[in-house]
Amino acid sequence: MSNYRHKNRENVVLLSARNISKSFPGGVVALDRVSLDLYAGEILALVGENGSGKSTLVKILCGVYVPDSGEIYVREHEGLRRVTISSPVDAMIKGIVMVSQIPQLVDNLTIIENISLTLASLRIRGANFYSSLSKISKIMSEEFEKIGIKIDLNEKVYNLTYTQKQLVEILRAMIINARIILIDEALTYLPILEKKRFYQLLLNLRETGKSIVLVTHKIPEAMEISDRIAVLKTGRLVSVVNTREVTPEYIRTAMFGEERAKQVRYSRLESKSVYGEERIVVKELRVEDDYGREVVKGVDLVVRAGEIVGIAGITGNGQRELAEAIVGLRKVKSGEIYINSNSVNVKNAGIKDIRELGVGFIPDRLFEHGISLEEDIVENIAVSVARRDMIIPWSLIEKISSDLVSTFQVVTPSIKTPTKYLSGGNVLKVIVARELEAAKKALIACNPTRTLDEVSAMYVREKIKNKAVSENIAVLLISEDLDEILMISDTIYVMNTGKLYGPLTPETPREEIEKLMVM
Amino acid sequence: MEIEPVFIFRLIAAFTTMYLIALGHSVFEKSGILNLSIDGVFFLLTGVVVSIVVPLADIFSSLGLPVILATTLTVITTGLIAVIIGVFMAWTLTKLPVGQGSVGLALMFLGYGLGIIAGYEIRLGGVRIGLYTYPESLNIYVVFLIIALSTGIITHILLNKTVIGAAIRACGENPHVALVLGVNVLKTRIIASIIGFFIMGVGASLFVLLWQKYWDIKIYLLGYGWLAFTIALAAGRHPLVLIPLALLFGGLVEFNIRLKTTLGLQVDLAKMIPFLATLALMTIYGSTRLRKIFEPPRSLGKVFYREERTV
Amino acid sequence: MRLIVVKRKTTFKYQAWIYTAMSLFLGILVYLIIMAFCGISPVNVLVNVAKSFISPNIVKDFLVLTAMGCALLISFRAALWNIGGEGQFYMAMIPGAIFTLIVFNPQYNPAPPPIVVILVALSGMFIGALWALLAALFKAYLKIDEVPVTLILNYIAYYTINYLVYGPLKGRYTYGYLRTDEIPGIYRLNIKLHVIPRGDTLQVFLQSMVAQLAYYIALLVLAILIYVFTWWFFKYCKIGLYIKIHGSNPGYLQAQGVNTKHITLLAMAISGAIIGLTGSTYLLSELGRIPYELERQTAGYGYLAVLVAWLSLLDYRMVPISAYIVSSLRNAGIALQAAGLGGAEQTFLLIGSILLTYSIIRFLVDYEVRIAWK
Repeated sequence: MSNYRHKNRENVVLLSARNISKSFPGGVVALDRVSLDLYAGEILALVGENGSGKSTLVKILCGVYVPDSGEIYVREHEGLRRVTISSPVDAMIKGIVMVSQIPQLVDNLTIIENISLTLASLRIRGANFYSSLSKISKIMSEEFEKIGIKIDLNEKVYNLTYTQKQLVEILRAMIINARIILIDEALTYLPILEKKRFYQLLLNLRETGKSIVLVTHKIPEAMEISDRIAVLKTGRLVSVVNTREVTPEYIRTAMFGEERAKQVRYSRLESKSVYGEERIVVKELRVEDDYGREVVKGVDLVVRAGEIVGIAGITGNGQRELAEAIVGLRKVKSGEIYINSNSVNVKNAGIKDIRELGVGFIPDRLFEHGISLEEDIVENIAVSVARRDMIIPWSLIEKISSDLVSTFQVVTPSIKTPTKYLSGGNVLKVIVARELEAAKKALIACNPTRTLDEVSAMYVREKIKNKAVSENIAVLLISEDLDEILMISDTIYVMNTGKLYGPLTPETPREEIEKLMVM
Repeated sequence: MEIEPVFIFRLIAAFTTMYLIALGHSVFEKSGILNLSIDGVFFLLTGVVVSIVVPLADIFSSLGLPVILATTLTVITTGLIAVIIGVFMAWTLTKLPVGQGSVGLALMFLGYGLGIIAGYEIRLGGVRIGLYTYPESLNIYVVFLIIALSTGIITHILLNKTVIGAAIRACGENPHVALVLGVNVLKTRIIASIIGFFIMGVGASLFVLLWQKYWDIKIYLLGYGWLAFTIALAAGRHPLVLIPLALLFGGLVEFNIRLKTTLGLQVDLAKMIPFLATLALMTIYGSTRLRKIFEPPRSLGKVFYREERTV
Repeated sequence: MRLIVVKRKTTFKYQAWIYTAMSLFLGILVYLIIMAFCGISPVNVLVNVAKSFISPNIVKDFLVLTAMGCALLISFRAALWNIGGEGQFYMAMIPGAIFTLIVFNPQYNPAPPPIVVILVALSGMFIGALWALLAALFKAYLKIDEVPVTLILNYIAYYTINYLVYGPLKGRYTYGYLRTDEIPGIYRLNIKLHVIPRGDTLQVFLQSMVAQLAYYIALLVLAILIYVFTWWFFKYCKIGLYIKIHGSNPGYLQAQGVNTKHITLLAMAISGAIIGLTGSTYLLSELGRIPYELERQTAGYGYLAVLVAWLSLLDYRMVPISAYIVSSLRNAGIALQAAGLGGAEQTFLLIGSILLTYSIIRFLVDYEVRIAWK
């Protein structure tokens, strides 16, 4: 990696954020007087735990959020000029573009239709809203050829893989000649081979004087190609350093603080030595997604009592649909699923029977399937616990709720507070607490620690591990975070375009697992 | 059975009216706003037509100008008045996090009431609307047929082959992502409302001036607005697919009267036919593959608010 | 200048009532403006409104709307917009008419009145539930929006009943009017207090009130029963909780294994059943017969109840208050008889105005508006 101080370039500041503060409903302070400069031709890694404010900061820079106070300066010809960035279009006009973890593309439209909207609103190459799409198509094909990427522009976005979507996003940034590209954890969970394709693009961009902000909570990623690293901790900027000059340990300590850094252990947790009977058995499973395409293509799987089976893989390879099918939430096209040793064939039974058997489910789509925000904690838990009653035993449920809230240290004014007033992390804790409680025989968990700060994430992982080890439940863990899979799984599979590869042991070298993720 | 020219005329008129109303409604809903006001607004506009055309025609004829000019001017004016309603809906339901269904329903009720008031003077005066409508001439019907079909084709090209059309559809599918991509969601929806409601206004005026050639407050009980709503639903709001459906159902309600006499139906049973047809179409749409092919825009009816969450 | 809409950091309960009151006033203002266009002075309207607020005449409407408001609460909380109250209300009267005028007509086939009344009530509940269930089936299994379907079913109900009144149920002793016969007196549910109000204004008022309440005793009992049921249903019954969550996030129910299609059917059926019961009671307490051309003569309770339910912010405690307000407004509107608008049509304007302002202003409860000067 070349030194960021180019010989023929001064330390030109492209963007300067000064004293940015932002808080959210409920009193959550996301950013506290953060000041940061971004130089031309550099890759700056912005690191911090989940909840440290890094995502908020870049969302302010790209116009999605508006800061409560503070100023932003952007380089124009004469020098730095104070600007207000009021919308994503505004940011793009000023040369700032964001690539998010969830691709910001309209699924039902084609690639051309999506990008044409940006081209037209920025009047790139004479495009405007009354241009015909065929004219835009010509412009785009030319640009893409220049960059050297081959992709069918008439493809509908829902047909693309996650990696392809992110590629389209970055190509969009390049077509509109953005000066500053903010990457909000978009590459964080990609295997290294996929990442390298993007890294090359980013390095090329850097050579031409563009700047990139790489937001991540993973230290190795931060140190991979960045020139500088800025560390955010609980909304404050605690450190800005040159990457070459620091060690990962230093970054860790800056991210977590001395005390917490000790609490956060990245070691493997102890497993059982012997597993029980087969609890979850899946045979030749085929499942369709919401668009009617087959996304689970003949999967076989066995999870035994006391075992944690982890399925790794880039998001969008059918994992979500697999989990939903196993728990009975999604129709099965063909194949068989047995829960609890052949007693229930999921295809015939419904999700109601599965849940009553004692299967917990932490869904991938938390706000769609995991919680009812208008209701309070007690009411949410009542649905899970009072399955057979016609009249709800409120006092019993209140007791259970209080216990769960204190065990998981959920921060809430009371158990009767509507969950919409809780922070995201606490909502997730309520969901995890509730589902662990409901998991008497098995647990199916999708990304159970996403957005949680590291200490809470460790806690949840330990709890899941304990459940398996001491209560002998079968756990199917699906996570896009390979570190998490390696940390607690006993058996590992990789899901790639609807097929399952494995089983692998946790001792399998990381590169081999990542290779399976790419294909 | 002899096909008299009058049959063809009435069929063309029925088709043109139902098609334009369903078409305008479709363009509007493509931008993501649910339009439950359609039946009330349709009736309101018919009342507006009646209240404009009579005095306007009187002025024109006193100036020596042909009545047909007044009739045509009424059609355009009605379209413009409809645009006011449409822009109001688009602005309110995009700028403010307000429930689209309840505003639509409120406007439906207001439409019924205001329509009755609009046409009151005319009804009271016992005026025969037939004097102010388009004459029975083949040329007129053909001209309007061509206008209707051209509007449909142009709308189709606009929606599916231009960037503004992609913007409208993006607002309907996922307005938050559209915003990030650079679309001004408010402006786009207002454009869709101007186009959509103007077409609807023209359609509603043709209902009185080309098709029925009469007006009465009982028109609000006909349910044609809901029929147009359902035609749009079943056709996936596609300008070209609307054509056969509008023809079919326009023809059905037009020949309602004929059915009544040939089958000897009691008047109340006959009045049910458009409603039963609507329910039947809904059933066919909902229970077959039609629903998959002609999906509504994903964000139709959803409140648009630039949400700021901590997760 | 730009308008920015921001979610409120905290919401106080009283704010909701303030904004509801504000929307009510604004809605009435819109109504006043429309009436002014029809040549009716706003003063006239307001005087009528004020008079109606203390008129014993509103007792009947108040009781019906309380019962129906609660009924709609049950479906509205499930986010099922049951606009079909009109159809459910009147369809329920068909078995009532059949039982009292044909099957158990006192002239040919008398039966103990309590039995007949119970039959009428139960059959009314059943038909009301069935009529609502039709729309629910469209929603649950065909995913068709219930608003157009319930509205269409209203029209089909009107015409079905018209057809029956024109035909099989046509009255023979109707003095030339096209309607069913009068329901025999022994099946009616009124207590007639032969009271001539005497004394000062307050005494007259109280005596009239008592007389009204006695006359509509059946509706009074009904309203109280339904109100208590609604309270119990949402507080203790698990289906009540499911309905609430169905209204906020049905996906959560599905993930927990609850059959949301069944909840849809149940919510609508219960709603329709209560409305049907109200209809039967209304037939035996007030209407006394079914007229022809129902659509021109309906009081519009089905639509007024929608307004009552919304204005009560879907909180059962507020239902009687909004029922009271809406009844008064309705009576004021009737008294105005403007521009040749019949009862139903006045109702449309009233409901439309208030619903429009309410729907729009409602957002201020959870959001605030800031003005940004650029």
